[in-house]
Amino acid sequence: MLCVERLTLDVGGRVLVAGFSCTLKTGEITCLIGPSGCGKTSVVKWLAGILSAEVDAQGSATIDGVPIGCPHPDIAYQPQSDALFPWLTIAGNAALGLEMAGMTTAAAHRAVVAHFDTFGLSGCEGLYPEQISGGMRQRAAFLRTMAQDSRFVLLDEPFSALDAVTRLRMQDWLCTRLAATPRGVLLVTHDLHEATQMADRILVMSAGPGPLAANIPITTPRPHRTEAALADIRTTLKTLLLEN
Amino acid sequence: MHFMRQILPTILLAAALLLAWQTYCLLAAVLPLLLPAPTDVVGALFAERAQIGPHALSTIKVATLGFSTSVMFAFVASVALHFSPWLQRGLMPLLVVSQTIPLVALAPLMILWFGFGLLPKVLLVILVTFFPVLISLLSGYGQVPQAYLDLLHSMRAGKWQIFRRATLPMARASFFAGLKISATYAIVATIFAEYAGARQGLGIYILTAKNSFRADLVLAAVVVSAGLTLLLLAGLRLIERLTAHGYRGGRNAVR
Repeated sequence: MLCVERLTLDVGGRVLVAGFSCTLKTGEITCLIGPSGCGKTSVVKWLAGILSAEVDAQGSATIDGVPIGCPHPDIAYQPQSDALFPWLTIAGNAALGLEMAGMTTAAAHRAVVAHFDTFGLSGCEGLYPEQISGGMRQRAAFLRTMAQDSRFVLLDEPFSALDAVTRLRMQDWLCTRLAATPRGVLLVTHDLHEATQMADRILVMSAGPGPLAANIPITTPRPHRTEAALADIRTTLKTLLLEN
Repeated sequence: MHFMRQILPTILLAAALLLAWQTYCLLAAVLPLLLPAPTDVVGALFAERAQIGPHALSTIKVATLGFSTSVMFAFVASVALHFSPWLQRGLMPLLVVSQTIPLVALAPLMILWFGFGLLPKVLLVILVTFFPVLISLLSGYGQVPQAYLDLLHSMRAGKWQIFRRATLPMARASFFAGLKISATYAIVATIFAEYAGARQGLGIYILTAKNSFRADLVLAAVVVSAGLTLLLLAGLRLIERLTAHGYRGGRNAVR
């Protein structure tokens, strides 16, 4: 269990986030939504350990009660763009996290190539990012993230660059993948549909710095998440987002 | 086929210019002593090939030695400046000022201090070609997308790992652009250094030809110098191709 407690971030006196707390459980997808500029990305970047040095951070993160520093090997981060390096093959890109963790290039390649099939990328090992479609690039980025074998995964708007149809497919696909290898996922999105389809829990941040506007568990099992079943929750979320 | 289509306009334009030049020489009956026709230049080049050859060889030797030393220095300097913002702030203005020193002042001084040997010429080539390569490397280092850096930081990569994995590959295109600019300077700088004083080289050949009023030989040497520069550029192009990482086919072939 990853707990963030009373996180406050400010840049030169301007408060970005105040008193933010959340808990990520293994096997649960937590969606973080909120109006633009509310600090969603800053929270994720803080957890990934990549927040700019100018930001003053106060608060704590613990894994199973043990305080941790970020970046942490048990937390993997995936930036908003797929960030695949154009000079590396898909296999090389996917293996990057393992190599950074100290694995040899050959071993890291062997480890990721075994997953190409389940990630729908078989045959792409030796191709370069510009040779494959946007959806495949995103799957390659997910493979790079998941291959790191971290217990917790931070995804910053992972589907924002995809077209609508590909996005729907990828959302389904990611839920299936995560069911097969459970992680604690924190997914930042501004898409209510995406949040309600994927999340086990939705955290709504308020526009101004302050505590969460809402923490809504979604208990409907994913196969039963029809438009009708989710209508009420979406109305609630819309009201929350528009009100604050 | 694609290559032919690409260089066809250049060939046509060059042919038109040469033709105009040749026609002018024929019709206006200018003294060949003042303006030799293109055919005269080619004739002189052919007749003097045994003399020009060794001079050209000497020039390309000095130029490539100076150029490669310069690239090596520029790379080392770029890494040092990249990792030390303090050094970068301190050195950059000095380097910019160093570029404002006229070659005409520098070349004779180099000869005065270091004699007629290889050293002053190589130094001059380094001084002229170092800066463009350094600048292109530093600007290439600055082009790494923040997402790449974030990703590597989140994987707990050290600063050397980040440099090797993202910064350096990212600077490749910019580095080769700088190399090509510097390569054209390298030959010109060598010829200038030889002009200021040398035993062999195109520069001293041009000086002798000029002193004996042989405009055709001066132009023949110019043709050779252009040829050497193109040769150097072709060599760089080949290295760029051979060391290319990533997909080498047409852009956006599959989307």
